[in-house]
Amino acid sequence: MHDTVTKVLVANRGEIAVRIIRACREMNVRTVAVYSECDRTALHVRYADEAYAIGANAPRESYLRIDTLVDVARQSGADAVHPGYGFLAENAGFARACRDAGIAFIGPTPEAIDLMGSKTAARAEAMAAGVPVVPGTEAPLGPDVPDADVARLADEVGYPILIKAVAGGGGKGMRTVTRAADLPGALRAARSEALSSFGDPAIYVERRIVRPRHIEIQLLGDHHGTIVPFVERECSIQRRHQKVVEESPSPAVTPALRRRMAEAAAAVARRVGYRNAGTIEFLLDESGEFFFLEMNTRLQVEHPITELVTGTDLVHWQIRIARGERLDLDPGRMLSPVGHAIECRIYAEDPDRDFLPSPGLVTALRAPAGPGIRRDDGGAVAGVVVPVFYDPLIAKLATWAETRPMAIARMARALDEYDVRGIKTTIPFFRWLLTDPDFQAGRIDTTFIDNALAARNGRPFLEVPEDAEHIAAAAVALQALAQKTPAPAGSARPESRWQRTARTEALR
Amino acid sequence: MHLQIEVNGRLRAVDVEQREGLYRVVVDGVERMVDAAAVDGTTFSLICLADGRSSQEVGLSPTGLPGEIAVHMPAGVASARVLAGAASRFGRGGGAAQAAGTQQVLAPMPGKVVKILVKAGDDVKARQGLVVVEAMKMENELRSPKDGRVTGVLVAEGASVEAGRLLVVVE
Repeated sequence: MHDTVTKVLVANRGEIAVRIIRACREMNVRTVAVYSECDRTALHVRYADEAYAIGANAPRESYLRIDTLVDVARQSGADAVHPGYGFLAENAGFARACRDAGIAFIGPTPEAIDLMGSKTAARAEAMAAGVPVVPGTEAPLGPDVPDADVARLADEVGYPILIKAVAGGGGKGMRTVTRAADLPGALRAARSEALSSFGDPAIYVERRIVRPRHIEIQLLGDHHGTIVPFVERECSIQRRHQKVVEESPSPAVTPALRRRMAEAAAAVARRVGYRNAGTIEFLLDESGEFFFLEMNTRLQVEHPITELVTGTDLVHWQIRIARGERLDLDPGRMLSPVGHAIECRIYAEDPDRDFLPSPGLVTALRAPAGPGIRRDDGGAVAGVVVPVFYDPLIAKLATWAETRPMAIARMARALDEYDVRGIKTTIPFFRWLLTDPDFQAGRIDTTFIDNALAARNGRPFLEVPEDAEHIAAAAVALQALAQKTPAPAGSARPESRWQRTARTEALR
Repeated sequence: MHLQIEVNGRLRAVDVEQREGLYRVVVDGVERMVDAAAVDGTTFSLICLADGRSSQEVGLSPTGLPGEIAVHMPAGVASARVLAGAASRFGRGGGAAQAAGTQQVLAPMPGKVVKILVKAGDDVKARQGLVVVEAMKMENELRSPKDGRVTGVLVAEGASVEAGRLLVVVE
């Protein structure tokens, strides 16, 4: 195919753009960044070899503009495009436009994106590959299908059900229905959300597995028919169907189950001739049975934990595969994790107010460091405004250690070091989560956060004890005192005024 | 120096003075001798002498709300404000406790009002949804801070709002 990928246009922003640019630099590949108006000074722009303005802040006027992106690729002489995740990563039209322009799309073929992007078609492929799927309707239910027909199909599938957008993802256009009486309202809401989010009101109905775990298998496929599946990721800690904590390996998966899930994932990928990085998502029920859920035809947010426990670099491999290189990873080793890795997604959201977005100016920031810490961020530092236009993910924090308890302890230590001021983040939620006995014991499923929120009934995740309230009052008073005391003339270091005024006072 | 400081909704009487290179801080009658050093303009290292020299890093940051300071400590983040004179206001925070009096529901972030779930005169329960604001690709339901009655809805569906914009009043 493309035996040279020498200059990559990164059609994305934020932490994933930075992560891809870093991989390119390591491989001596030149990089082209694109940016919207508010991203002019973003880290991905400053790290790239070249950078091009592509429009206004709204994604549809910049990061979603296929024509502009292909033009910039041509103009800059890029011979490949990496879409990252989100934005156009699973847009077959973009992959096709790149191919038509003679530019390598670092990802699967447009045909594979089309096929696996349709949830109903993907289910059919999984079944044809002999992989179990969650019971549900086989054909998309368009807007012309009457509610009564949907109700009859829902009865056949069996309550509780999930209504999902055929073109969906990220929890949009998804509704849980436990009683037939609630179906009409949920159907209307799901269709309208599907239409506004994806431009397609078609939905389908699926049985809701009770207390399932979300387990997924990362895989790579090359242009020569080799598929390599990796050790699973456990992604059951979800909020609004968005993952917030992931770990690898799963505390619920035995080596035998891992082999079966990996074989099932590889069978689906092989059947559709899959190339490059992709992930097959499964639901694992309490009895240990698993069901195909969907395929993500892109690099995942949570890919770093797989890299940490297998010692691979998935983005390097994406580029090598796009160059036509053969996968020569040892498949046995990719299914034998070394140690344990956990990732927390640090969002600009207020966990104590129903996880409302909290964009704004970061007034101070110290990120954790030290052994076993991997942090991917898009340049959130003091003085930077987290924009309101994009996903509120400001950083991914991953820790690795020899065992799961130590990876958890290391994550707790890292979160204690993480100091973000000016905006609210999900850090207090994670600090609470890591102390939860069920989480520590690995007793988790996809209902975990909703149950925890209901049980806490609005109590803050980090409750400040009385003693700390005293310390807070003391600190505020000390600052007020320092502000009343003028710094000595010619002072070059106003920050040490406290100590100095104390000394000056003592000399009187 | 004497101050009235509200921390997480509770009023604290604080006296602070310098003494022999250290600070004597009395909070609600509890005295602490503190070795205080500024790390930078807003971050302070406090070592409390009476307490086995327990070391704490404390960061202060304005929240954007008038007079309110977020105090970042190892134990968590507290919300504080220095009260001028004796005038005390009911504070924010306080966990699950319900807010009292007339409550203004403000837009916590810039976004678009996609749905209004109540109208003036409606009785609402605490945590009942009032308005749905879309921001950062998500639809966010803003909820009532208390049991009460909606006395005003000050936005229309489809309106773009800035952070801090008054949306709904609950009495």
